[in-house]
Amino acid sequence: MNLKHIAALATLTSLALSVSQPAQAKGELVAVSWSNFQEERWKKDETAIKATLAAAGAKYISADAQGSNEKQLADIEALIAKGAKALIILAQDADAILPAVNKAREARIPVVAYDRLIQDGGVLYLTFDNVEVGRMQARAVLAVKPKGNYVFIKGSPTDPNANFLNNGQREVLKAAMDKGDIKIVGEQYTDGWAPEVAQKNMEQILTRNNNKVDAVVASNDGTAGGVVAALRAQNMIGIPVSGQDGDVAALNRVARGEQTVSVWKDARELGKAAANFALQMAGGTKPAEVKGASLWSGGSKKLAIPSVFLKPLPITRDSLKVVIDAGWASKAQVCAGVDAGKLPAGCK
Amino acid sequence: MQTWLAKAGFDVRFTSLVLALALIWLALAIATEGLFLSPRNLYNLSIQTCVTAIMACGMVFIIAARQIDLSVGSQMAFCGMLIAFVQAEWLGAEAPYAWLLSIAIGIVGGMLLGAFQGWWTAYRGVPAFIVTLAGYLMFRGAAFLVADGQTLAPLSTVYQRIGGGIHGSIGPAWSWALGALACAWAIGQVVLARRSRASYNAAMPPAWADAAKALITCAALLGFVGVVCAYPDPGSVGEDGTLVGKGIGVPVLILIGVAMVLTVVARRTRFGRYVFAYGGNPEAALLSGLPTNRVLLTLFMLMGALAAVAAVITTSRLNSGTHSIGQMAELYVIAATVIGGTALAGGTGTIPGAIVGALVIQSLDNGMVLMDVSSAKRQIFIGLILIGAVWFDGLYTRRQIR
Amino acid sequence: MTALVEVRNLSKHFGGIQAVDRASCSLHEGEVVGLLGHNGAGKSTLIKVLAGVFPADEGQIIVRGEEAKFASPRAARLAGIETIHQSLALAENLDAPSNLFLGRELLTPWGTLDVDRMEHEALEVISRLNPNFRDMKKSVREMSGGQRQTVAIARALYFNARILIMDEPCAALGPAETRMVQDTIRKLKAAGIGIFLISHDLSDVFEVCDRVTVMKNGAVVDTVKVAEVSQEDVLAMIILGRKPGKE
Repeated sequence: MNLKHIAALATLTSLALSVSQPAQAKGELVAVSWSNFQEERWKKDETAIKATLAAAGAKYISADAQGSNEKQLADIEALIAKGAKALIILAQDADAILPAVNKAREARIPVVAYDRLIQDGGVLYLTFDNVEVGRMQARAVLAVKPKGNYVFIKGSPTDPNANFLNNGQREVLKAAMDKGDIKIVGEQYTDGWAPEVAQKNMEQILTRNNNKVDAVVASNDGTAGGVVAALRAQNMIGIPVSGQDGDVAALNRVARGEQTVSVWKDARELGKAAANFALQMAGGTKPAEVKGASLWSGGSKKLAIPSVFLKPLPITRDSLKVVIDAGWASKAQVCAGVDAGKLPAGCK
Repeated sequence: MQTWLAKAGFDVRFTSLVLALALIWLALAIATEGLFLSPRNLYNLSIQTCVTAIMACGMVFIIAARQIDLSVGSQMAFCGMLIAFVQAEWLGAEAPYAWLLSIAIGIVGGMLLGAFQGWWTAYRGVPAFIVTLAGYLMFRGAAFLVADGQTLAPLSTVYQRIGGGIHGSIGPAWSWALGALACAWAIGQVVLARRSRASYNAAMPPAWADAAKALITCAALLGFVGVVCAYPDPGSVGEDGTLVGKGIGVPVLILIGVAMVLTVVARRTRFGRYVFAYGGNPEAALLSGLPTNRVLLTLFMLMGALAAVAAVITTSRLNSGTHSIGQMAELYVIAATVIGGTALAGGTGTIPGAIVGALVIQSLDNGMVLMDVSSAKRQIFIGLILIGAVWFDGLYTRRQIR
Repeated sequence: MTALVEVRNLSKHFGGIQAVDRASCSLHEGEVVGLLGHNGAGKSTLIKVLAGVFPADEGQIIVRGEEAKFASPRAARLAGIETIHQSLALAENLDAPSNLFLGRELLTPWGTLDVDRMEHEALEVISRLNPNFRDMKKSVREMSGGQRQTVAIARALYFNARILIMDEPCAALGPAETRMVQDTIRKLKAAGIGIFLISHDLSDVFEVCDRVTVMKNGAVVDTVKVAEVSQEDVLAMIILGRKPGKE
């Protein structure tokens, strides 16, 4: 290796290091361990967390486990080593994360379980009520189509939220299913929540049922997009489809009448709450004593976990104004390409 | 049986692959009570296969040159996001020719990604496995950064036709015309081959074998056209209110175009010949003074361009650009290429083989979803088939050497 | 008469190893010069330098009176030097015409490969060497050792080599095929082509060579006329580095 190579290597390394170090700020160090930052919505969460911490004079560091349990454990160890006073964890897996949580406990670092369940009674579980999200999705679709053939396009098989959502959906549909008004003619998980996969699965389900499908309960906006694409190819746009996350593309679909509902979880609220709770707990408050927290035992292991559930909001054609007013998406984005004669309330 | 087939002038490897496909189709048809073979499902299958098949055609060259490209899925994602960005964010989806410009930009983007990988492999001697593994990570990250993780939608209505959905096929008249043309071409090929062999007094396969080859190819081509024309287009309405047949989907036309061009490249250009020569014996290529660095660079750029074409079809099908497209595509593409007869040791590989290989994998996936098999079980099954196919290929090659 | 090729004080080292050490030899028209020596004596490296695979560190190569520097195998070929390497440098997966024209393909006016013309030309050259070898579609993998050798030789002939370098042409061949190669060498000699022949088989060498250059440890021991020495002399040169005539 000659001098030129060494210089190049040194420059590359210092560049890489400098990018990963956040600016110095005084105050508490709060660390966030993301399970897979590259899924669509987490950017908004991060922005909110950072803003809240900055306002309180605290410092933010984070790591992205890129979907790997092992990496998340290593990430959390590194974050602890860097001196984090509180941990916000978006767990890749509710059980596989436990060794990391134990490490945090040994280091007396409080943990906020962010959006996804962690099977440990010592964390503060902060989430939107995902079962309620599922209920809202099913309710909106049921309102449009009380009887007929239904399809479940579920989330990733490795994400516990996928099952929480489906449980909520089934709860709402149970009465009609038992009566025989609703028949489930297709049900598939979607690897990695990928729209491409949802599209292909939906195509096959439509084929199998010769297009006799009346409603699709999709668990998020990405998969809803894939479902709508499959429906479009069969000239079936207009049957009720659900989603969640309030993706701009989905809100546009709702305005156009291609999607019935997108259950909106203002990720900014979740991020703000997480940052606040993290700071409170870093200051000594125990999870169960946090304002608004109550013990909840709805997880599969029936552990009692101090939890705070934020309320999601179903956004349909009639309620588009809410997201626009909240600054989540602009009117131009939401209403792009909508027929002038069919403007929903929020677009006028 | 093998020697008999070989004497009759049949490519044994390809023939056994086609037979395997036929068996799989039969099994799936039985398991789905015929639904698998319905015109609608076969049309869908043809569209679903195109993305994998197009990239597999390029992977034939890559693997034949003793290289590998583990980043094609990530390249797809990045190019797809570029295309969606041009349409949805920059020019506006319905702006005239925005879609055309977006495609051009996407393909140039793919070639640049390929040039990056090819340069490190050819001119800096970093093994392709490592370079493309890095590409797998980098390009996926870059795809995320294009729109900060957001989905970009909707795309131009003209562009949507490329995906084979509504208005995405050429209708019965054109399809039959193309089918007839293809049939004539197939017969012409067989006749020409016979004539050229005769002029060299080379060993000639029996006339009945050549006739059978022409007949079977023709039947397959016309059969395919018949099937896709039998699928009533949900978006069309004929004069008397009935639905018109869909015909050949646009992605299939793109695949055919790509396959034809690449076959010519493989057989009739110096680039193609140098790729196979280098894969067959890198030392001979060096001693013969072949411009191996340039060849490798061009090779990876070609693969990048094809990944971009695959991205066009995928984004147009989805009517959006998401940074998650093409996840795991590299595995399916490599599997399709290897099942199709391209040896990992380099030096051999055919385009038709790669396409049939892609068909094998997609048929299994398509059929199993029809059967409501869970995704986890599907993965196990397809993995087993891949091992089986490569084992079988090894058996065959070993017998050849004996 | 001017030598076809003259090598003067050629040296080549790889890292710490001196593969060729100030070697000198020459080759005239219609002459076969044998290049002998142990494994590692430097013969293969010397001819690789002549073939343009490596550049020389020191020394000169003079082709037909003019100094030449070969930057690549292509340059050597342009100077009329064709090499048949020990490994034959054939791509096993391709057929005879493809290998023959590798790197020097014949093109149609549109820039594509003129497959038919190459097949025709290859057939002509190859069938002159071996009238029974007519299947131009067979891949090299399916050929016998003798047929592969024929393709390699045909490649050199087609491009009008005036200087031919053959590295162990008969090493993998049986007696009948060996005789065929020896006949070919004599024919080429008669046509005025100069041949450097590397071989370890002394009887082979004494059959066809006019002169013999013996190398040991990278240096040339001596160059002698075959007619003036015996096989034992040459053996002594190879093994002991002892020049003939010295007791």
